[in-house]
Amino acid sequence: MSPVTVDAKLLGDPIDRVDGPLKVAGAAPYPSDVSYPGMAHAALVQSTIGAGTIIRIDAAAARSAPGVLTVITYENTPALPDGPMTILGPSPRFPFKDNRIVHYGQHVAMVVAETAEQAVAAARLVKAEYEPTTPVLGITNPDAPLEFDAWGMDSTRGDVEGALASAEVTYDETFTIAPETNNPLGLFATVARWEAGRLVVHESTQWPIMARQTLATVFELAEQDVRVFVPFIGGGFGAGLRFPPHAILTVLAARMLDRPVKVVLTRPQMFTSIGHRPETRQRLRIGVARDGRLLAIDHEATSTIGIEETNLEPVTMPTPNSYDCDNVATHERQVRLNIPNPGAMRGPGTTQGNFAVESALDEVAYRLRCDPIALRLHNYAEVQPGTGLPWSSKALRECYRVGAERFGWADRNPEVRSMRDGDWLIGYGMAGVTFDWYQAPCRARISIRRDGTAYARSAATDLGTGTYTIATQLTAQLLGLDLDRVRFDLGDSDLPLAPQSGGSGLAMSLSGALHQAAGNLLGAFLDAVADDAASPLRGRSPDDVTASGGRLHLVDDPSVGETYTDILDRHGLDELTADGAVDPKAEGAGMMPAGGFAARFVEVRVDEDLGVLRVARVVTAIDAGRILNEKTARSQVLGATVMGIGMSLLEQTEFDPGTGRVANATFGDYLIPVNADVPDLDVVFVGEPDRFSPVGIKGIGEIGIVGVAAAIANAVHHATGRRIRSLPITIEKLL
Amino acid sequence: MTAGHPPDVEVTLRVNGQARPIRLESRVTLLDALREHLGLTGTKKGCDQGACGACTVLLDGESVVSCLVLAAQCDGREVTTVEGLSSDGRLHPVQQAFVRHDGFQCGYCTPGQIMSAVALLRAGRAGSDDEIREFMSGNLCRCGAYPNILAAIRDVAAQGDHVEVVGAGRVPAGGERS
Repeated sequence: MSPVTVDAKLLGDPIDRVDGPLKVAGAAPYPSDVSYPGMAHAALVQSTIGAGTIIRIDAAAARSAPGVLTVITYENTPALPDGPMTILGPSPRFPFKDNRIVHYGQHVAMVVAETAEQAVAAARLVKAEYEPTTPVLGITNPDAPLEFDAWGMDSTRGDVEGALASAEVTYDETFTIAPETNNPLGLFATVARWEAGRLVVHESTQWPIMARQTLATVFELAEQDVRVFVPFIGGGFGAGLRFPPHAILTVLAARMLDRPVKVVLTRPQMFTSIGHRPETRQRLRIGVARDGRLLAIDHEATSTIGIEETNLEPVTMPTPNSYDCDNVATHERQVRLNIPNPGAMRGPGTTQGNFAVESALDEVAYRLRCDPIALRLHNYAEVQPGTGLPWSSKALRECYRVGAERFGWADRNPEVRSMRDGDWLIGYGMAGVTFDWYQAPCRARISIRRDGTAYARSAATDLGTGTYTIATQLTAQLLGLDLDRVRFDLGDSDLPLAPQSGGSGLAMSLSGALHQAAGNLLGAFLDAVADDAASPLRGRSPDDVTASGGRLHLVDDPSVGETYTDILDRHGLDELTADGAVDPKAEGAGMMPAGGFAARFVEVRVDEDLGVLRVARVVTAIDAGRILNEKTARSQVLGATVMGIGMSLLEQTEFDPGTGRVANATFGDYLIPVNADVPDLDVVFVGEPDRFSPVGIKGIGEIGIVGVAAAIANAVHHATGRRIRSLPITIEKLL
Repeated sequence: MTAGHPPDVEVTLRVNGQARPIRLESRVTLLDALREHLGLTGTKKGCDQGACGACTVLLDGESVVSCLVLAAQCDGREVTTVEGLSSDGRLHPVQQAFVRHDGFQCGYCTPGQIMSAVALLRAGRAGSDDEIREFMSGNLCRCGAYPNILAAIRDVAAQGDHVEVVGAGRVPAGGERS
């Protein structure tokens, strides 16, 4: 038994971010802010063809340009081992291992100079001659190689074709979603420094442990001789989950020059170097009874992928879990193209799949002339479909109810084009969300020092998600300390192992590890006083003891106890330290660990004469289990909603159909939402603490983007009578 | 085009109330001068193309995107960066409001947002939510903290204690980060 107790409230105190003062003062060090004496600066040169080979690279002019220290091309790059396999597949293709070009914008040279200006100027002097071939482009290109079920996640239950054939009402439509680019505001940067055979790298990564492992493998070092720092990162949204080639080149340059080297990607390079959300096409076939019972779902998704790369994009993954339906099949296909490899972007796969399923259910509801919420409730998955296991928590029903109330769903006239305000057609739309559970092993360490402060740490990251804050808050609560007595460190690969900030799994993993570390630490204090005649807690079992106000004391009698400092003082100890670990296993738990659930409600306004579409308000009711910090959790959902508005209305990465060049690789051309695009956003948390997580929480980093697109498209249909199955919903689709 | 040998220039920037003489290549932007030459890394580079607002500073009291200004144009001019907003270790009211309202997540666009917010308040453009949203739309936030940024600015505007805390701040000791 652990002596530590968790606050029983559903909503954790909305304390301000503990790293907030640093950030608003401009004092938080991001990788691109790091500087060393004698540091050189690198600039990258990228290919101007989409496929082919490099015949010759003339770098003579660049090498003799002012300040230039070296130019690295495939010709002078030593053979380096491939990076390791990760859960996201093999390491990205290293472009300097040969002379082949597999996409437009592939790195072909790195110029290193005394100053960044000199490096950029000299990079323009590098001339590459190519033998081009015709790039394979276009998601519907019949010549493109196709992969089927690349991750072995395709699933079938029941007899889908039979059920579709006999269903009273059938549905068969195709959905398309444009490729998008993550575009965190922070330009990805690498600063590499070799110190007597040890390597120190400041890297824009969401996964310091994976970065360390990759560098150790590629540069043939022991892992303890590599240290990766990322105390702050200017956003990631999935872009920092793979270890990118430009970072390897920077480390190589630092080794060649024996001095620190820094590279900062340009904004256009952010479109081609660190992944993007792939383009997708989905075909969805549904069979339904007249009474609204779902009889069959067949969900096939096709996503784009680099010509010789891997990317995990599970578009159909949540579909089998979302509704109570006996016959469900999912199929994933990938089309290999000469494009920069896609990668994870917030809610990868799930976000796109939800758009199709939740749009389709709205269409089915219209055909059956029933309310979209009623249709969903009619097919509510009380237990996990297929296995029949109970969910560890599920309050989706409450999400529908509370969300509908706050939004005023009952005021909706279901007839299309029935609501109007002057020139504006008004539409209401909704969508449900089922998000998959994911969690990975994690370690954490906590010390309590003689001055009564605690120091907790784990090699996690805080992308802006609030990791610093929730870990500090949770540690303080578990140890019964005031917040200002606790420090939590992350973003350093020398700290105990932590998983990536990805899959909405970090907070669950880390909180579990901290919970166990805190329990072990209190146990260590009780061990220390087990035979201590001076201690009022002598011989007490952990079950009898808890912590509050900086003291350990009996649960039944808080007056019997003493401070951490008293115990450490008396025993001549500077500190006591304990570790915690989680190695989550869903098997054998007797339940299905649940991710988050949500209901999204949107009001749109459409001016048909002008084709203008505005999102007027969004209400989100969300079940994410216990919320550790209401303020930062709400911000996660607000921010993801904004990204969902971008996906729905604005965002599309334009690949030139002839070359594969990204034609809009700037913030002037690739539009993301600005402040004036975002209306009032209402977020309400419902549900109860999750039974599987030791502290009752579920992930909340991604679910906020899911369902926005379907709710908007459904609202557009309600406003205009037009069913848009293609994102983004740009002006020409409304005229 | 050749790399050329752009002449060095000597300029004295008045940064956060302090004279900072520097010698740099004539093509160096104000943004890079602040970050790479003066060690003031609070001002961020998000696009280097004038499109994202992360590098917003005040130049002679007016907000500018410092990636589109050459340092050589700023000789003798007054530059206020995010490091110059706090005084005597106390955060500027706008900085405090951003913390209180969680007006950021990753924090990267935040210095630029805060400088634009200070400029907005000085210009008396916080009359309505829509006016604030419009004025702040030159500053991108990919984390999507816009509603909280709006709330922070609205809050400061209502308190009315924001106007004259600009241009006299101090440069943090140490300058260069390592």
